[in-house]
Amino acid sequence: MLERLRARKAPAQDSLYEFLSIKWILAGITLLPAAILFTFVNVLPILWAIYAGFFNVSPFSREWTWVGLENYFEVIGNPEFWMAMWRSLLFAAGSVTLQLIFGIGIALIINRTFRFATLVRSVIILPYLIPTAVLAFLAKWMGDPQSGILNQILLQTDLITEPIRWFSSFDLAMISVVLTGSWKFTLFVVIMVLARLQGIPEGLYEAATTMGATSYEKFRDITLPNLKGVIFIVLLLRGVWMFNKFDLIFVLTGGGPLGSTTTTSIHAYDVAFTTLQLGRAAAISTLLFIVLATSALLYFRVLEPSQEVDVE
Amino acid sequence: MNPITAVMNWIKPIRFDGDNIPLWNRLEYSLRDKLLNGMITVLLVLIMLAILLPLYWMLSTALTPRAELFDFPVPLFPDNPTLDHFWKVIANSNFLVWYMNSLVVAIGVVLLTVFSATLGGYGLARLELPYKKTYARTILFGYMFPPILLAIPMFIFWRQLNIVNSHVGLILAETAISLPFSLWLMWQNFQRVPNSLEESALMAGATRFRAFVDIALPIAKPGMVAVGVFSFAVSWNQFTIPQVLMIDANHWVVVQGLFSFSKQHSILWGQLMAACFIVIIPPFLFVFFLQKYLLQGFRTGGVK
Repeated sequence: MLERLRARKAPAQDSLYEFLSIKWILAGITLLPAAILFTFVNVLPILWAIYAGFFNVSPFSREWTWVGLENYFEVIGNPEFWMAMWRSLLFAAGSVTLQLIFGIGIALIINRTFRFATLVRSVIILPYLIPTAVLAFLAKWMGDPQSGILNQILLQTDLITEPIRWFSSFDLAMISVVLTGSWKFTLFVVIMVLARLQGIPEGLYEAATTMGATSYEKFRDITLPNLKGVIFIVLLLRGVWMFNKFDLIFVLTGGGPLGSTTTTSIHAYDVAFTTLQLGRAAAISTLLFIVLATSALLYFRVLEPSQEVDVE
Repeated sequence: MNPITAVMNWIKPIRFDGDNIPLWNRLEYSLRDKLLNGMITVLLVLIMLAILLPLYWMLSTALTPRAELFDFPVPLFPDNPTLDHFWKVIANSNFLVWYMNSLVVAIGVVLLTVFSATLGGYGLARLELPYKKTYARTILFGYMFPPILLAIPMFIFWRQLNIVNSHVGLILAETAISLPFSLWLMWQNFQRVPNSLEESALMAGATRFRAFVDIALPIAKPGMVAVGVFSFAVSWNQFTIPQVLMIDANHWVVVQGLFSFSKQHSILWGQLMAACFIVIIPPFLFVFFLQKYLLQGFRTGGVK
């Protein structure tokens, strides 16, 4: 291989490569693209939101009017916003609880060795590949009050006498949306927990078995402590993502019926594109960002994920 | 064999002496194993059904003629399967335009992400730089950003830059979601590539850049494939950002186009499910064909 390297040397290219190898030049060409991109698409929009929050942004022209803190006060003083925050919290708490319980359960089951293990593991990844909007349409069809398969089965087996309006009744909509989302996002938990489970040395279990530990004791004293880190990561990441979930709810219910599934993200979208108050939507984004930053702080303080892998 | 011996034989693995032994512990070990395996198998079958049945139902609806969709009871297998819905979806020129838009945007996101994440990952792993921990934290923080939080400010920002309703604008916007984790993955990947290979190339007179191109890059290929598939999936899955940024119907991506099958109160379920099925084909194909690479590439992922 090294001979080939030397043989391929071309003088002009060589001096170019030498120039590219100067430490700071190399640092520049390797790190700058990602850094510029990250600044442009992740950092600037947030700064822009904070800035735009101080203005009345016209939806039709580029006219901006300075209004100071008015947007922020209006958002905070609006009970709708707090209702939406509360629904987001409910939605996130329900989703994360379901996803954690099922995710850990499924991971524990498929971590055992059995026939068809590879097949099962590839099937289990399928839901994660389905776009959330597609899942939402499919769930809407299956839960359709008139001709959805779910109601048909329940009616035929005499479990219910009247079709259930999964996504269009005030009391049920939130639960149905949580269940639908969990069908897909549980797999995220499965994948992460499975990766961690496979990293637990088999010897620990063998030693425990020799000492006469029961399966429950092994789970409590070996498996669970090893999963603590990953459970915390999942709790935070999934918590943050579900708190701000938009696509699933937008397609399934659009925030209805009667606002029973209007979470903060749906509320922010409505403020921006139904009532066309872009400045106020920017203020909501800023507030959401503060919530996110607080959770991130918790993430880094408690867990220090950057230490889980060597940063050298 | 008389009946009593038969019964005795059958319950032999169960102990009946001692009334303080829990039922489970009265069973012979081999019987316990069998029961446990049986239970696990039942659970596995249930899990598989829960995943596969909705997908089956999507396909089944797509193949059922429109007239039979609203039958009661609904047939579990389409009686007269037909590709009608598929033809109608494909013949719908708008759908093809949206599908192409999605493909163009996804390819753009993949190229942009793989390019910058590979270079960045290499730089972070190999060069001695100050504040590495800060970079790690910033990247992981970026990974937490939910799409809606970025989409609304992006709309205001992109409007000023005149890139709303453009492929470039959407590609950039979606890269915000795919880049942080990809960068993290490539950073981890290059850390697992033994530095000694590159060092020996340096000793043999290769420049640093040549060592990167000819040695580090080929070894990091599984990681690059994993990042590519991941960013494709991110872009293909993304509804929130296009819904905010792509207002003009000609610029929609395909998941937005799915809304066109519902008009007022009637939804063309057959066509909608056929369209959904066409939408999920590319990611399924990718994972099917690249599974080997993916497992290798993600194994070094650490956090995800």
